[in-house]
Amino acid sequence: MLIAALLLLTAFVAGITGAWSPCGFSMVETLGSRRAHAGGRVVMTSCATFALGALAGGAITFTALAALGALLGGAGSEAALVVAATVALSCAIGELRGVRIVPQIRRQVPEPWRRTMPLPLAAGLYGILLGLGFTTFVLTLAVWALAGISGALGEVQVGLLIGLGFGAGRALPVVLMAPRYATLGQRLELKMAEQPALLRRLRLADGALLALLAVVLLSTGSASAAQLVVSDGTDPSRAGSTLAWERPGGAGAVLLDGTARRELQAQSVAIGGRYVATRQGDHLAVWDRASGAVVVERDVAHATQLAVSNRWLVWRTSPRGSGDRLWALPLPVAQAVPAQGAGIARLVAGVARREAIDRPALSGDHLAYAATTRADSRIVIVNLATQRRRLALVTRGGRLSQPSLDGGRLLYVQSSYCSQRLRLLRTSGLASRPRTLLRLGATALRDEGHEHGYTTQGSEPGHCPRGTLGPTDTVLWTTALAGRDAYVTMLQPGAAATPAAARIVRVGA
Amino acid sequence: MSERRARRLSDALATGTSRRGFLGRAGGWLLATATGAAALAAGEEDADAYHFCGHIYTTASCPHPTGIPRVDIHGYPLRARDGMPVDDLGRPVDRQGHPLDDRGRRLTDPDGRPLPRALRTRICQDGIPDRYGFPTQVDGSWYRCCGGRVRRLMDCCARHETRINGDTALTGYCYQGRRVFCVMYFQTSVPC
Repeated sequence: MLIAALLLLTAFVAGITGAWSPCGFSMVETLGSRRAHAGGRVVMTSCATFALGALAGGAITFTALAALGALLGGAGSEAALVVAATVALSCAIGELRGVRIVPQIRRQVPEPWRRTMPLPLAAGLYGILLGLGFTTFVLTLAVWALAGISGALGEVQVGLLIGLGFGAGRALPVVLMAPRYATLGQRLELKMAEQPALLRRLRLADGALLALLAVVLLSTGSASAAQLVVSDGTDPSRAGSTLAWERPGGAGAVLLDGTARRELQAQSVAIGGRYVATRQGDHLAVWDRASGAVVVERDVAHATQLAVSNRWLVWRTSPRGSGDRLWALPLPVAQAVPAQGAGIARLVAGVARREAIDRPALSGDHLAYAATTRADSRIVIVNLATQRRRLALVTRGGRLSQPSLDGGRLLYVQSSYCSQRLRLLRTSGLASRPRTLLRLGATALRDEGHEHGYTTQGSEPGHCPRGTLGPTDTVLWTTALAGRDAYVTMLQPGAAATPAAARIVRVGA
Repeated sequence: MSERRARRLSDALATGTSRRGFLGRAGGWLLATATGAAALAAGEEDADAYHFCGHIYTTASCPHPTGIPRVDIHGYPLRARDGMPVDDLGRPVDRQGHPLDDRGRRLTDPDGRPLPRALRTRICQDGIPDRYGFPTQVDGSWYRCCGGRVRRLMDCCARHETRINGDTALTGYCYQGRRVFCVMYFQTSVPC
């Protein structure tokens, strides 16, 4: 949010700085001086078309740069953030020192348009050209910096935001001065023309904003780096300040709150709201974190994974020779009534034999689970209170797994033959581009796409995008999400007698 | 006549006629019959200019989880170097679809359960429609000798003017107006 606000402000100020360009001056004069001949309404209409053109031009340029960055790959990664911060910082130094703009674009908008076209049309086209940013003189290095940042971040929405900010900045001086050209407009134009300190101050502002942006980008970059939280643990969950996890191989579970650590005799553990749920063999128990009172106890054959919230307990069963099932049990609203066998568990989801459902996740009434079937891989969100079911994400040719929910946010792992990504998405905008919090290479080795001694031509479709990380033995496994912290288990799978090894890391969400 | 020129001529025949389906196929079969034996006799040296043995034109590989587009007889992906079945993530898998390590042992999670399966989709029949949004099928094939084994070269065909390379698609081994979108192969165990 802070980055977005800073980018918008920087783009806006960079746009205003552009008013000192030959084209910027020309626009004010072109539109303002027509008031006497064409009338105030034409000037106002022209100002409006100019503003719309500038907004459109800005949006086109910076959105396209962001899209290009996304296409080139690596955008949005920590490395990209560092690149963006470096660009911002170097341009900030240039702006603060007031260096000449290099590279400079020594071109202007076509002058004949204002004579050969209706003024509103010409103004609209001029607006587009000025909004595009790189079709005429550039008066601040911030324009180049913003272009680099758009590409490095590779998020179209961010590019659009920068473009609109820049367009608005380019439009503002013209819209402000042209309708009052005879009075305010000419006076300001004179000051702009004769007082270089004004431009200098604006460039200082550009520089300061870019420097601030660099700092924020760098801090975001380091925040997204994974920090080891548990060196021997898996299946994290968190509620408030308490983190719960299991030891690999069912060797107990741990609750950690600050420095207070509690060991549990449990093979599975989940924490959510005010409850902790544990599984020891087929025995499930839910107890209040504060009082320790047991709320629900139940024996469930073949139970393997748990999730709990203030209102629900969900578990997975994995009977031999059958597919995974998810069951939901409402928890008593008034607690502290031990309820052996009470309540009716409801089947929420199931898959066929040899298909799998990952560890479930709960947030309030909402359950998220990932299922990989023969047809596709999907993440489904179910409102357990209303039984409304929503297909959140679906893919073929890859795998969606290990979801976590926190309020309106969904954390999950997306794997393909090129990479594994820990991704974050708002459940209210599932069609939008998810944020990648952590990226690893794929777990499979790829060949060169062509046979030894043969040409490379034709092997291109088998290649992964540039910037793809090399293969790894580590699998992005179970996740947890709480506030600004995302947790993921880094699993080294076991094989035969070699047990799996797992550690939990935290990344900024 | 080299096989490459023959294939081009077959394409020209197919595209230059109003009854392209029949004539194209007939032309292709005639030319293939005339040149096939020579090509087989020539062996893999003739195909050195292309990106895998037996492939004789520039159409690129179908996207494949491990790169080189080797498939089984049904079109499911195999790892080129050893013919191991792989899933859509490129991991070698067993008959049940569970991922395996380098020694062919099932990989397990922290609870000792096998790691979950991923999808395993057919490269041409499922993968291309999912990714590119139009139906495809394997029409015909051609067999050549590669690495001492007979190899079946398979064209993934679609009613689509553009091939995966981005330029004009060729008729290749496709019928009824379909054209080659991308290529793959099935390695038999038949010695040659």
